[in-house]
Amino acid sequence: MNKKFVPFAAALTAAALLSVTACSSSDDSDSGSSDEPVSLTYWSWTPNMDKVVDAWNAKNPNIQIVVNKQDGGDPAVTKLLTAIQAGSGAPDIMQAEYQKVPTLVSADAIADISAEVGDLKAKFPDGVWNGVTLGSDAVYGVPQDSAPLMFFYRSDVFEKNGLEAPKTWDDYAAAAEKIHKADPKQYIGTFSATDAGLFTGLAQQAGASWWGVNGDAWSVNINEPATQKVAAYWGGLVEKGVVDNKPMYTPDWNAALNDGTQVGWVSAVWAPGVLEGSAADTKGKWKVAAMPQWDAAAPATGNWGGSATSVTTQSKHPKQAAEFVSWLNTDPEALKLLANTANVYPASTDATALLTEPPAFLSEQADYYAIAAEAAKAAKPFTYGPNVNVAYSSFNDAFAKAAEAKKASAFTEALTTMQQTTVDDLKKAGFNVAG
Amino acid sequence: MSLTTPAPTTTAAAPAKPAPAPRARSANKRSGVPYAFLAPALVLFAAFLAAPIVYAGWLSLRKVKVSGLGLGAKSRTEIWAGLDNYTRSLTDPEFLPSVTRVGAYGLIVVPTMLGLALLMALLLDADRTRESIGKFARISIFLPYAVPAVVASLLWGFLYLPRVSPITDLFEAVGLTAPNMLSSSGTMWAVANIAIWGGTGFNMIVIYTALRSVPTSLYESARIDGASEMMIAWKIKIPIVMPSLVMTFVFSLIATLQVFAEPMTLRPLANTISTTWTPLMKVYRDAFTRNDIYSAAATSVIIALATFILSFGFLKVVGRRAFNQED
Amino acid sequence: MTTVSLPTRKPGRNRSAVATTLLLLGAAYCLLPVLWVLIASSKSAGELFSTFTLAPSTHLFDNIAELSGYRDGLYWRWMANTALYAGVGAAASTLISAMAGYALAKFDFPGKGTIFNIILAGVLVPGVILAIPQYLLLAKLGMTNTYWAVLLPSFISPYGIYLARIFAAAAVPTEILEASRIDGAGDWRTFAKVVLPMMRTGLVTVFLFQFVAIWNNFMLPYIMLGDDKLYPITVGLNGLLNQGASQPAMYTSVITGALISIVPLIALFLTLQRYWQVDLAAGGVKA
Repeated sequence: MNKKFVPFAAALTAAALLSVTACSSSDDSDSGSSDEPVSLTYWSWTPNMDKVVDAWNAKNPNIQIVVNKQDGGDPAVTKLLTAIQAGSGAPDIMQAEYQKVPTLVSADAIADISAEVGDLKAKFPDGVWNGVTLGSDAVYGVPQDSAPLMFFYRSDVFEKNGLEAPKTWDDYAAAAEKIHKADPKQYIGTFSATDAGLFTGLAQQAGASWWGVNGDAWSVNINEPATQKVAAYWGGLVEKGVVDNKPMYTPDWNAALNDGTQVGWVSAVWAPGVLEGSAADTKGKWKVAAMPQWDAAAPATGNWGGSATSVTTQSKHPKQAAEFVSWLNTDPEALKLLANTANVYPASTDATALLTEPPAFLSEQADYYAIAAEAAKAAKPFTYGPNVNVAYSSFNDAFAKAAEAKKASAFTEALTTMQQTTVDDLKKAGFNVAG
Repeated sequence: MSLTTPAPTTTAAAPAKPAPAPRARSANKRSGVPYAFLAPALVLFAAFLAAPIVYAGWLSLRKVKVSGLGLGAKSRTEIWAGLDNYTRSLTDPEFLPSVTRVGAYGLIVVPTMLGLALLMALLLDADRTRESIGKFARISIFLPYAVPAVVASLLWGFLYLPRVSPITDLFEAVGLTAPNMLSSSGTMWAVANIAIWGGTGFNMIVIYTALRSVPTSLYESARIDGASEMMIAWKIKIPIVMPSLVMTFVFSLIATLQVFAEPMTLRPLANTISTTWTPLMKVYRDAFTRNDIYSAAATSVIIALATFILSFGFLKVVGRRAFNQED
Repeated sequence: MTTVSLPTRKPGRNRSAVATTLLLLGAAYCLLPVLWVLIASSKSAGELFSTFTLAPSTHLFDNIAELSGYRDGLYWRWMANTALYAGVGAAASTLISAMAGYALAKFDFPGKGTIFNIILAGVLVPGVILAIPQYLLLAKLGMTNTYWAVLLPSFISPYGIYLARIFAAAAVPTEILEASRIDGAGDWRTFAKVVLPMMRTGLVTVFLFQFVAIWNNFMLPYIMLGDDKLYPITVGLNGLLNQGASQPAMYTSVITGALISIVPLIALFLTLQRYWQVDLAAGGVKA
């Protein structure tokens, strides 16, 4: 009786476990030769990336790229780091936001491909290129897109209030007050504690660089004068009540864009796509201008987003992967596809010539990409550290409290918390930290 | 499946043995059988529950040591941490507030949810004649159980946000200001409401099932004696469903301590939910945002132990009868 | 006649009116968000954020078409995946739970109490805590980012085993097992031909229970899967919502998707509602 039963039970468990092996045996061969056909996985969250990749696949039967669409920069990095920790499960190629590059390098997740891609430095603006080299001789990816900050505003509302696009932050504050006084429901913008990337861009514009390398030690400069100036400025506007304190990217914010209670947005070059998706009916009412300045004589800007394409350390075919990465971000055909099909703003300087038509949502703004190109050039240098996520999640918590409190002093105090949390985390992990 | 011998040998062997004690099962002689039935469950349990838990325990005692700038390929090593992760977790200034928050949350959710579930179950039971309304109500109240917590939180999020909520419109229609559910005082209720909405129906069904298994004749005599429906509910029905209430309490308690998806989904909508709002959110933040699975593992172990002590402690207090009647 | 019955029926009616009102209030509370999602999914993207919240519109089919068009009908693949995860996972889990529950309820053997208590303790462990170690272990087998990564862990359900044990204890009389044995039926045959049919009602409950649990699961597939073609509906919808700063959240698609995703479960509830009799403490009130 046992004889009859036991094999069944065993078979049931074994069947479950064994069939797995059969299913997961789709590994590529591990030979490094480029003549043999290989299939490489590419994690990207850029829309229509699969269509861009189709162009490559058609011409390179031996190096086939399979795009796995990701939900966004943060979930993708989380998954990659978990896969690195586990020792398997990572893709070959990875889209990585610039601010995540040091984290990924530090976790040994992305590989130095300087030998494979050769000298591409000349094809990218210095600041962008620095984001993938971290100031060393290594190359941890090829820049894909950049995202300089610009100022988007409802031209109808500005005209009605007799306002022009603010040239300086003082203008912006005055406009904020005027708009809100004229209609207490209207705001020129909101301070969003969920968007650390935007605040970083604003600090970058003011001249901050939160991390730095001093010899063989990291330095952390979050609670420093330039960032304090930015925090105090926004805290002041929130305290006065002329700028809203609710997060962006919520249904509430969408409604506010639609019903015209949010009439301005400090955002990046990709903003028209978001506005179109969030408030399509306001098409034709928006305009773009260069960022308001701290010093009108020395125009500067920061970035919000932007990413590179990297090869992971788990890839068995780094050479082929690097070949694709280099094509994707420098080949004229690829750049055209990136700009027009994937709707990104390519980082390569060659792409400027390709972008002549303004985005559909701002179709009347013929100089859209001229403004963007100026902005891209004016981006200030900024160094990211190996624990950006820690600083950002600290930003979320500390500035959420400050925004809720609506006190300018709470905004500058939040910087103390951020600085402390970030330094403590580095020290805890064993990084050399200066100061 | 098994096409081999029908194996009459074992049954043949049974009568040959001296007469077994009347209550003893013949299984005693074929001691491998229950283990064989248990084998798939045990193997899977070991692989997907026990091993991960042991692994988490191991990780909680480790940490990563970075050297220098931490940018080279060999700059990270995993080392022994002892109880460092535990001390850091327990002394984290965010940890205690998140624990008290969950405690307060549990005090709101568990009694409200079970109270509502009991009330609805009793009403359904008392109203056995009105089949159509009872059926409609039963299915409607059970319906939220079909909605994943992530989706439920998204839907309620829409209903909480002033600019898109119909509730705001209703309040404004009568000239009132709607309470801001996502303000610092409202957040707790906002999260609790989602849990109550999602959980009442299931618990109602559990209690209702227990009520239904009681023959109506039991109440008839009470009614003849002049007892009101209230009295019958209080004196007869509630004591009868007590074991079910105990079980729903334990499972609700466990679910409460694990509250995660609702505040996690609401967090980006408001300034009032921090990344460490509940202990499990802290686990998530440490593991996924900070990439520190070691601290996350230590906090996990603490949460698991606390859940374990609380739920088994509770069962000890109310008696193990309900849980494990046969031992 | 009427004069006699009126006094006794009148309080009954009042009571019933109160009871009915309360029940309907409860139902209204539970249906409000469902009603909202139904109305919201009929609105175009612009209307969703501009017209009165509870005013329906006419764009439901446009929204469904738009959702279906997203990445060549990926949404429907998510639905199929979810059905696969929940269907196969729940079926396997039910069989495994039935076997284990039967063994725990109907056999005496050394270690029984310990095994049961250990399995019970498994109920207490939150999925969030298990997700990472499960990932790390499955990654060692090279199984992450496959259907199996989501299926295998869902085969084991301590809660299902707990329920199956209660059902087996309550529904399977020991005498019948004895009789079956005396007839010369093997253990497996007895289980398949006698025990399973007797536990049928309870097992359908276990199945439904696990089905809903897997259908609603988020954390495990979220961690395990890198390829969105393998996503279940919860992870897929979450992705449509959180696309990162440079992409707008696809609210209309998410809302329409959420609506469609609960339809199968509602259908399941309605067709199998007589099995929704979850008796967590059957032993205590054995009728």
